[in-house]
Amino acid sequence: MSNNYGSKFLSWIKSAAGLSIVVTIVVAVVASIASGPYLLVNTVVTGGMLALVATGLTLMLGVLNIPMFAHGEFFMIGSLAAFYVFTPISNYTNENPDSIIVVFGPLIAMAASTIIGAISGIIAEKLVFGPLRRRSTDDWVMNSFLLTVGLSVLLINLHQLVFGADFKGIVGYWSGMPISIYDVFISRDRVMAFMIAAVIVVLFWFFMTYTRTGMAIRAVSQDITGAQIVGIDIEKIVLLTISLACALSAVAGGSLLFMYPSYPTVGLEPLYMAWFVVILSGLGNVLGAVAGAFIVALLKVITVEYIGAGWDFVIPSALIMFILIFKPSGIFGSDVRGALDK
Amino acid sequence: MLLEVKNLDAGYGYLQILRSVSLNIDKGEYVCIIGPNGAGKSTTMKSIIGLIAPMGGTVVFNGEDITGMSASQITTKGISFVSEEMNLFVNMSVQENLYMGAYTIKDKKIQKNRLDFVFSLFPRLAERKAQLAGTMSGGERKMLAIGRGMMSDPKLLLVDEPSFGLAPQLVANVFESLDVLKSQGVTILLVEQNVTKTLAVTDRGYILENGKIGLKGKSRDLADNPHVRKVFLGV
Ligand SMILES: Nc1ncnc2c1ncn2[C@@H]1O[C@H](COP(=O)(O)OP(=O)(O)OP(=O)(O)O)[C@@H](O)[C@H]1O
Ligand SMILES: [Mg+2]
Repeated sequence: MSNNYGSKFLSWIKSAAGLSIVVTIVVAVVASIASGPYLLVNTVVTGGMLALVATGLTLMLGVLNIPMFAHGEFFMIGSLAAFYVFTPISNYTNENPDSIIVVFGPLIAMAASTIIGAISGIIAEKLVFGPLRRRSTDDWVMNSFLLTVGLSVLLINLHQLVFGADFKGIVGYWSGMPISIYDVFISRDRVMAFMIAAVIVVLFWFFMTYTRTGMAIRAVSQDITGAQIVGIDIEKIVLLTISLACALSAVAGGSLLFMYPSYPTVGLEPLYMAWFVVILSGLGNVLGAVAGAFIVALLKVITVEYIGAGWDFVIPSALIMFILIFKPSGIFGSDVRGALDK
Repeated sequence: MLLEVKNLDAGYGYLQILRSVSLNIDKGEYVCIIGPNGAGKSTTMKSIIGLIAPMGGTVVFNGEDITGMSASQITTKGISFVSEEMNLFVNMSVQENLYMGAYTIKDKKIQKNRLDFVFSLFPRLAERKAQLAGTMSGGERKMLAIGRGMMSDPKLLLVDEPSFGLAPQLVANVFESLDVLKSQGVTILLVEQNVTKTLAVTDRGYILENGKIGLKGKSRDLADNPHVRKVFLGV
């Protein structure tokens, strides 16, 4: 029995997915030993948040066939919501440092960005995607792609007009001494950002794998006619998927407000990174997107560290293109061809 | 009457395929539609289940006008469709596919009973319940598609060419399982290329040609009809 598991493990290691995960871990560990553990911390925090944005993107692409290029703007909406909710909270806690709000205030701000993200997703579906879906049957992918680019430009400019182009940031969510793990000091905000990402990813994975609704979402992504004939209400699933995807992006924006202040184009970087993840990991599953997120995060962190800050888009994208030549379905792409491959 | 289709016109975009198709099925009946390729048999089924919206005519199920309802609404009313393409969820396991078939049933215990019933019908599915549907063989997929169609405990089962591409032994299996369903009181509308066999097991039949119902009647009589014998049986 254990032999069986052993050989299974070995063949997994040899697969593209196993290989890339192992290489990632090794590189991360070696780089951290060479240049300092902050590399690992940065990778883990960035990767966790990237996982949220990228799973949203996978959902939009897999379930709705929308190549979403406005996903970063929901990150922006999330960071904006968190800023406006957290600013009064932090004013209050500055005057009342003993209040319980000191601990829970940041969570309220993040919850607000999640909810506002979900609501904006619903609005986007009702105003933009839904009407297009009812009118266009041919060229849906192209049309919806163009629509998301338009939506992105619109939201960026709306932000600029209504809230201004300045940086709207905060000093930090949780003050206090950094947490030390084996002599490595990590700010509380970073630890919390990672924990929030981890909790959401696990909950989301559980939701997609075991719940009736999560299974319905997967069913729609695999065969929409099949989903209809087992009685799944497609419109409802579409609305839910869009709001979920947007909420995931927005909560990432909200929780990273301490690193990325809100400004009109704050979403572009996470958007590009998330696209790298989706291209790299293929439209396999949530776990593939999560693993891909950490790989891309590591690539970025290492590039900045060893090559220079200006290169952090060049190297990852070049490497991803290189990998794709050998594994066009992405490293975590499923072995079974789905509806999207037809 | 369980299903009454009256003067149904349907097609794709501006292309009309069905012209005033009328058919009806009583509770407990086993009815077939036969016809040459491209006659519109699948189109008839897709319009009944609501995958395509009829251009004209009415579909009444169990006394309720379901014309123009969405497929998911119609499924919830108690019609199940096993399509020619099967439309399985390829990245889900056999068991997950079956549970998706019971999507309209909320009660976990009933779901489990249905699962046991389908497994008793197709023991092969029970053996392979953890396998991904996309990696199953053609015959196993057919069984899975029929099994999934049964999971919702439908009043009416629409089956489109269940024996297509199957080896003779499996064809016999598929017909046997449809017999079992019929004996359990499920009403079945079957589309099949295997005309001899189909006319031998069904109660009544409709002959669909060029989007129109040509002949209809008892299956026994259709099997003796000179036109049917010439066109479909080659004698
Ligand atoms: N999605 C579609 N778009 C346009 N035309 C279609 C579509 N599906 C089917 N047709 C056309 O409608 C006609 C009837 O097709 P249908 O699938 O109903 O035939 P059928 O009787 O089921 O044939 P077969 O025995 O080959 O399955 C055919 O001429 C076919 O080309
Ligand atoms: Mg057909």
